[in-house]
Parts: sequence; C-alpha cells; structure tokens
Amino acid sequence: MNGMAALRADLGIAWAIARKDALSELRGRQAAGSTIFFAALVLLLFGFALGPDTRRLAEAAPGLLWLAIVFGGLLTVARLHQLETEDGALEELARYPVERRAIYLGKAIAGLGAMLVLGGLLLPVVAILYGIDLLAAAPALLLTLVLGAIGFAAVGTFYAGVTVRLRAREVMLPLLMLPVIAPLLLAAVKATAAALGGDPLGELASWLQLLAGYDLVMLLAGAAGYGFLLEE
Amino acid sequence: MPQTTIYSAPPRSPLVPIPAVATREVARLFGRSAALAGVSLEVERGRMVALLGPNGAGKTTLLRILATSLRPTFGSAHVDGIDVAERPELVRPRVAYLSHATGLYDELTAAENLRFAATMLGRPNPAEAAARALAEVGLEADAARRVRAFSAGMRRRLALGRLLLAAPSLVLLDEPHAALDAEGTALVDRLLEGWRAGGTTVLVATHQADRITRLADGWARLDAGVVVELGGAGVSVPTAVPAPIAEPVTAAAER
Amino acid sequence: MKTRILGVVAVLAVAAATWNALFVVPADLNQGDAQRIMYVHVPSAWLAYLSFGVTALAGIGYLWKRDLRLDHVALSAAEIGVMFTAFAIWGGMMWGQPVWGVFWQWEDPRLTTTALLLALYVGYLLFRRLTDDPHRRAARAAVVGLIAAVDIPIVHFSVEWWRGLHQGPTIGSPDRLLNPAAPMQFVTALLAMLGAFTIAWAWLMIRRYQLAAAEARLEDAVRRTRVAEARRAAQPVVRPEEATR
Repeated sequence: MNGMAALRADLGIAWAIARKDALSELRGRQAAGSTIFFAALVLLLFGFALGPDTRRLAEAAPGLLWLAIVFGGLLTVARLHQLETEDGALEELARYPVERRAIYLGKAIAGLGAMLVLGGLLLPVVAILYGIDLLAAAPALLLTLVLGAIGFAAVGTFYAGVTVRLRAREVMLPLLMLPVIAPLLLAAVKATAAALGGDPLGELASWLQLLAGYDLVMLLAGAAGYGFLLEE
Repeated sequence: MPQTTIYSAPPRSPLVPIPAVATREVARLFGRSAALAGVSLEVERGRMVALLGPNGAGKTTLLRILATSLRPTFGSAHVDGIDVAERPELVRPRVAYLSHATGLYDELTAAENLRFAATMLGRPNPAEAAARALAEVGLEADAARRVRAFSAGMRRRLALGRLLLAAPSLVLLDEPHAALDAEGTALVDRLLEGWRAGGTTVLVATHQADRITRLADGWARLDAGVVVELGGAGVSVPTAVPAPIAEPVTAAAER
Repeated sequence: MKTRILGVVAVLAVAAATWNALFVVPADLNQGDAQRIMYVHVPSAWLAYLSFGVTALAGIGYLWKRDLRLDHVALSAAEIGVMFTAFAIWGGMMWGQPVWGVFWQWEDPRLTTTALLLALYVGYLLFRRLTDDPHRRAARAAVVGLIAAVDIPIVHFSVEWWRGLHQGPTIGSPDRLLNPAAPMQFVTALLAMLGAFTIAWAWLMIRRYQLAAAEARLEDAVRRTRVAEARRAAQPVVRPEEATR
C-alpha cells in the first residue's frame, strides 16, 4: 500500500475510535462531568491555600490553572482507557486488523477533545475565582490551551496504555507521567503568564514553539511505542 | 538464550496441506500457575472441531493465543502456517474470535457498536454491513437501543453479529451457547452450519459436550492444560511432536 | 576473572583519583573545600546521562532484535543510572548549601533537570517490577525508556529557558568553577576522577548484567519447571502414537 493511502486508512480508523469515545463520553456524562467539577474544586481549594489576597492569586493563576488541568487530565486519560476495559473491549480493540498507531491516534484525538473541554471550562472558572481578565488575551490563551492539550493527550494516552492493565494503575499513571509532562507544564504556565501579562518580554512565541515541538516529539514517540503496550 | 518460540513448525511436504491451526507444545503461565502445559494440536482446514473440558482446562487460553490476544510462554502456535506470536498482524485478518467477554461499548447502541466494528474490520460500507448482521442475529428491532440496557443473551447475540462482519478463515468460539435461550441456541447452530458450508474452519470451546459434538467433525478434550483425549475427524496430535518441555533446571543452570 | 581484574582496577583508580582530589589539588579560592564535591558530582552526572543513553539504546535494540540480553543491559544501566543520579543530586545539594546558602537552588537548571531525571527512571524501575512475563516486560520497559529518553533534552531545554529567557546565567554552573590560579591541576583532577568513575561504571555494568542474566535464567528455569510439573500432574497425556488415526 502506498504511503498516502495507508495514512488515509489510519486516519479513518483513528477517527472512528475517537468518535466512538466521544459518544461514550457524552452519553456517560456523569464521569466526565465529575472530572471537570473536581478540577474546578481544585482551583477553589488553591484559593483557600493561598489566602484571600487577590493579587497573589492572580499572579499564581497560570500555574494553578495548569495544575488543575493536569489533575483533571490524569483522570480523563485514565478514564478513556478504562472505558475499553469494560467487558474486554481493549482486547477486542487490539484484535482488529488495523495499525497500532491508528489506535493510538484515535485514543489521543479523543483525549485531546476531552482535554479541550476541560481546559475550556476551567478558563472561566479561573477568571472568576482569581479575578483575571481573559478576553484581552483570548487568542494567545486558546493557542496555549490547544498546544498544551495536544501534548497532554499525546503523553497521557501513551501512559494510560502503559498502566491500564496494572493493578496499581491509579498510582502508576501519575508517577510515570508527571515527570514526563514537566516541560509541558512549565512551558504552558510560562506561555499563559506571558499571554495574561501582555507578553512584555516577547517570550510567548518561544514558549509556544517549545510546546509545539514537545507535542510533535511526543506524538511520534507515542505512535511508535503504543503498539508494544497492547501485547499481552 | 531462551526465546518465546522454542519450536518452529516442522518442514512439510508441499503435498500435505497446511493445517488451519497447528500448535507445538504451547504453554502459558499466569503468574505461577500454568493454564496451558504443552498442547500440540492440528486442525485441518474447513473442519469444525470442539474443544471440550471442564472450567480451567485451558480452552480459553488456547483460543486467546490463537486470536493473538496472548503470547505463549513456551511453544508456538500457527494459524494457516503463520506464527501468531511473530506475525500477529498477518493472523488478525484471518481470525474471528467470540470471547467470553463481549467487548461491547455500553454507551453505544447495538447498531453503533457493529458499525464501529465494521469500520475497524475495513468493510467498505459499515452501516449496511452492520444492518445486515443485526438482522441475521435477530436484533433489528433493538438496533437503536444502547447496549447498557441489553440482557446477557442479547449482548451475546450482538457479539455473534460482530463475527459476521469479518470474512475469516478461522472462527474461534468460546462457549457460544452461554447465556442464550432456545432461540439463541438455534441461531448459534445456524451460524455454525453457515461457516461449515462456507469452508471456514471453526474451533468451539465448550463444556457442554453433547450439543457441539453432534455438529462437529471432531473434538479434543483438554484437562489441566494438556490434551487428554481426541475423537472424530479433522483434529490430531501431530506425530512429529518434539519432546515436551523437559526438566530444565539442570539444562538452564549450565547456561 | 577478567571482571575481577577490572573491579580491582576500578577500586584503585577511584582511590587514587580521590586521594588526588582531596589532598593534592589545592582548594578553590572562592569556595574553599566545598568545591571538591565537584570531583564526585560532575562524574556522577556524566555517568547518569551515559547510563540512561545506554538504557534507551538497549531498549530500541530489544524491540528490534527481541533479544532479552539487551533488556538485561537496559535494566542494569537504568539501575546504575539512578544510583549515579542520586549521587549527583546529593553532591549538588551538599555543594549548594555552603556556596549558595540553600540546599535546593531553583535557579540552577541542572539540579532541577536531574531531579526530574531521577523521577523518570525511578518510575521506569518501579514499572518494570509490575510485569512478570520477560518479553512483555522488556517491550513495555523499552518504550517507557524511550519516551523518558526523548523527554530528557526537552526537560533540559525548558528548564534552561524557564530560569529566564532574557537573563544571562547569574550563577556559575559547577564545571565552570575552576580555580584560575591552578587551572590545569583542577582539570586533570576532574578528568582523573571522570576516568576512574567510568571504569567503576563499566565494572558495575558488567556485574549487574551478569546478575540480571542469572536472574533471567533462574526465572526461565522456574517457569519451565512449573509447566513440566503441571504436565506431570495432568494425566493421562495423549501420546502421539495413540492419537494418530
């Protein structure tokens, strides 16, 4: 099969998987909803932890926002794989005669969608709780969110696949994944801070580039490695 | 160094057809216990063979190995002459497997589940293929209902319908009659007849011997991870079986 | 036997280089004796990176060749790498306290990077313990090791930037802290330590590999025994001559 046709076939498979996951997520609303609620709760608790000083909260907002996204995201990517373990679905999925990277890509697209919803809903929560004006920096913020969500979904899908069959998966997923996404967290926080602060140092573009590079590297590595995780 | 595959398929004369299934001393450990302790079996093409034996005999493990879901710990298994552990991507399109777990998505409707499966199996028109399969297993009326609301028997039917979406050369069925009523049982028998008529090799694991053996060409009985008895036609223990996995401690200790 | 000779050489080399670093080379003008920690810190960091590089390459090699010996190499290198990473962090903290006044200097990109490195590979080692089938473990560990390896340069980059995109390095990095009065002596002392540590690393690698290989042989023997036992317990076994029809 030539390259283009193979790629098109992979994308078709990936899309079918992502669509199926999206349907399941939308219909089994309570799980997705509780994750978002949990992440919003984390933002509220950060407010308590840092005290009532609004200026301090506004300063810390980029970091707190991304920590909440990371916590919620950990639950999200884990849930998308958990979905497959209901009644042997993961084994069934692995038995289909399709490229392993297409399966990875499908799960990653579903993860990206869920992360975008999570991030998109947390942004206004941050704006309200920490008193931040989002609208001024909206395009840069959204770009940061999208790039951060891609990276998180790329890495999260891989590590959810790594840990889905382990008995200790609840602790192993964050343990393995958090060090890997440290650069993503760092770059996303910096980019968010730069966007909110009007980018006085002109560093926003650098951080976005770093994020984009991270996304690309992790997507390629995840697609190459995911197939080995499905072997039982 | 020890490798997963210890024995390769023996050389064959071109006049002898390649068996649909050929295992050589396949063993699989789960932790400390051996689910399979060295099974050598050959199933001729186009035959329907029953795998009998009590719970825990290793039937499901054997089927999962043939379906590429499990790698054997020792020994090798071939489907149509292809090693399942080494070239699973070539085996997958040839095999359809009805497992114990149905592998269905609860939040999707019956039609959506089958449409997804048809897409994954590369059917050119998934919606049409799904509709036809639903009709064949008698679930047209429930096509738009979510699987979450289905009874165990209906889930089983739907999983059977998914088998019809593929065009395999080997069908593996794990307790196909489980959870089915009289009508469902008749459906399974009809499907079995269909595969037989189409020349598809079928391997059915069951602990209800009488029902399947009436339909099957031959049978093999497993107990505690080994083949203990064979009967009928189409299934055999190959004559040139290598020695079973020997007491290895001394051999391995010598590096 | 050869390994034993290498071990003796490693011990002697490390002892000699340590003697040199402690008693022969003068103290740094600015930092005093604390600077001598660098003679352990820098080689440890170098060997940590070397180890993790070996882990990644051996993992890729395993996925390609499916040879468990390469997985033994990956495991050995990861364990030894974690040990040297811990050394490097410990040394960095011991040095940071007298020189910077704090154990943990967030402004130092290397320290933060190394801490993440430790977390990455401790995770890798923990993960390895959770799978018991050797080939499955080797394959999964290889891809986890691969992701960790591609993450290292990005971590380094981002932490380096994070410290301040538009701010020059205000704090000298450890290996630039050489006494200008006796530069050559410092350099040779560091190089000697580097060489000695690398010999010790090679010896450790060989020993750990041998251990991993022995463990794998034992594991394999146990598994074969279990299968053989299960086979003996299951009677009657169909013999080929009885079964042919």
